[in-house]
Amino acid sequence: MNPKRAGAVARRIVLQFRRDRRSLGLLFIAPILVLTLVGQLWGSSTTTKVRVIAAGDVDPQLYEALRGTNIELQAMERPAALEEVKAGRADAMIEFSETGATVTVEGSDPTRTSSFVGQVDAALTELIIGSPLRSAVTVKYLYGGPDYTLLDYLAPVLIGFFAYFFIFLLSCVSFLRERTSGTLERLLASPLRRGELIVGYLGGFGIFALLQALVILAFTVFVLKVQYRGNLATIFIVEAALVVGAVSLGLAISAFARNELQAVQFIPLVILPQAFLSGLLVPVDQLNEWLRPISTVLPLTYATEALRAVMVKGYALTDPLIVRDVGILAAFAVLMAIAAVLSIRREVA
Amino acid sequence: MVASLAVEARDVRKCFGPVTALDGLSLTVTAGEIYGLLGPNGSGKTTFIRILAGLVRPDGGTISVFGSSPRAVVATGGVGYMTQAPALYGELSIDENLTFFATLEGVTDPAPKIEDALRRVGLLDRRRSVVSTLSGGMRTRASLAATLLHAPRLLLLDEPTVGVDPAQRRDFWEHFRALAQSGVTLLVSSHVMDEASRCDRLGLIRSGRVLAEGSARELIARAGTADLESAFLALSEAPA
Repeated sequence: MNPKRAGAVARRIVLQFRRDRRSLGLLFIAPILVLTLVGQLWGSSTTTKVRVIAAGDVDPQLYEALRGTNIELQAMERPAALEEVKAGRADAMIEFSETGATVTVEGSDPTRTSSFVGQVDAALTELIIGSPLRSAVTVKYLYGGPDYTLLDYLAPVLIGFFAYFFIFLLSCVSFLRERTSGTLERLLASPLRRGELIVGYLGGFGIFALLQALVILAFTVFVLKVQYRGNLATIFIVEAALVVGAVSLGLAISAFARNELQAVQFIPLVILPQAFLSGLLVPVDQLNEWLRPISTVLPLTYATEALRAVMVKGYALTDPLIVRDVGILAAFAVLMAIAAVLSIRREVA
Repeated sequence: MVASLAVEARDVRKCFGPVTALDGLSLTVTAGEIYGLLGPNGSGKTTFIRILAGLVRPDGGTISVFGSSPRAVVATGGVGYMTQAPALYGELSIDENLTFFATLEGVTDPAPKIEDALRRVGLLDRRRSVVSTLSGGMRTRASLAATLLHAPRLLLLDEPTVGVDPAQRRDFWEHFRALAQSGVTLLVSSHVMDEASRCDRLGLIRSGRVLAEGSARELIARAGTADLESAFLALSEAPA
């Protein structure tokens, strides 16, 4: 390993980036745009109004019982009410009878349905027993809190995912260009060794990957004001281990593509399963039995676990869980780097 | 006295899957000569050059460059390889490209060598230009400059004058001659007869083997034709 030659490769990548505004934009602007959007979507705790229509007459007390909920009640004749629900302009229709009430829901969005059926049920119960319900349960939060939004829960994962995704794509396409443009051939006909080339790439892309991770983290914490407990440096170290692995993965994967289009085709294969199986959308322990082994070989699984533990629960870098996860991420990075070295074959025409 | 050999290839074979690229190719290149590898597209010229550049391992036969394996000579900076398409980084300036390759080749004190190489190919005044903004001919010249920096003993030039205008082509060949006179061995592939006639010796290649070897004059005499082009056609159509 000649550090001068590896350094020359890293320096060259930095120089190339300087003149490649589009890639710089992808690295630093795109994640911020996406995170801004996500912040708007999930960052507020305001809930949408649910419109419920009562068929026929309504007991005035029901209006009283529904006060303070996000349910808006209106009375209407049954056919008109049903039409409103069918058309999606109202969420549900209530019909009262001797024995109770029947609620007809629109029903196509299960989360929306379950969120208001509970509220309607409580309001009707209040009406029947004739006094406000008072819960005997006091909730205490070990982590998080009543003002935690969905964004606070998802941010740790998104920080990892975006940093991982963009740098993977960029390193994959860049190395592919090296392979297809003939420069790789030229490099291999020089004293440069394959390991030096990969180390150089890791150095050059590593700088941008870490900068990007820093920008994403700073934006999430200081602009989106996501709540976090752990140390920022610890969060960054987990992220760093993840993105260096993303660079190596990109370099190794580029061997399987012949052009940029094919590299982009790897996104659904390499990136999306990680999004679904790493605990980003569904917690790993709720996955189907046969999917769990797959999630254990995905680096994002460990990054998600560690980032959540640090940001939501305040784990320290020295915690065995964090040490293990960062170790696994680092091992993945090394493994993929070796795969990348082996993927450079002089033979291929 | 026997001149030392730069390249010695004996019965070299190489297949890529079902395609036979080299089918028992044998030739020798003497140190300090300009050897022209002449043959139609797909005759195996590039494969042979890539073997010499240490990029491809032959399936059979023996090959040595200055008495060693190609890869060993490449690793010590003994070979300069100019690929068919200019292998430069489009986002970098000529200077930045050359500095990069100089570092890879372990060139000490690169600045004057870069300046010298650029002067030779007539690009000194464009050294700060970004490569993607250059014409095809300029890129080829910059690519040649990048090949010369480390003063290799063997220069492999794969169709070096494609896209270069006639005046520049003449300059290229003057430059090749000067390099040969300073002791550098040049192996040039081409299918342009005018270029071939400037080589000291030629190897006519077809279907991965050498059909005939000799100076342009020798080949013309052997074929009994008026010029090299007719000689090439006559020799390549004759039964092996």
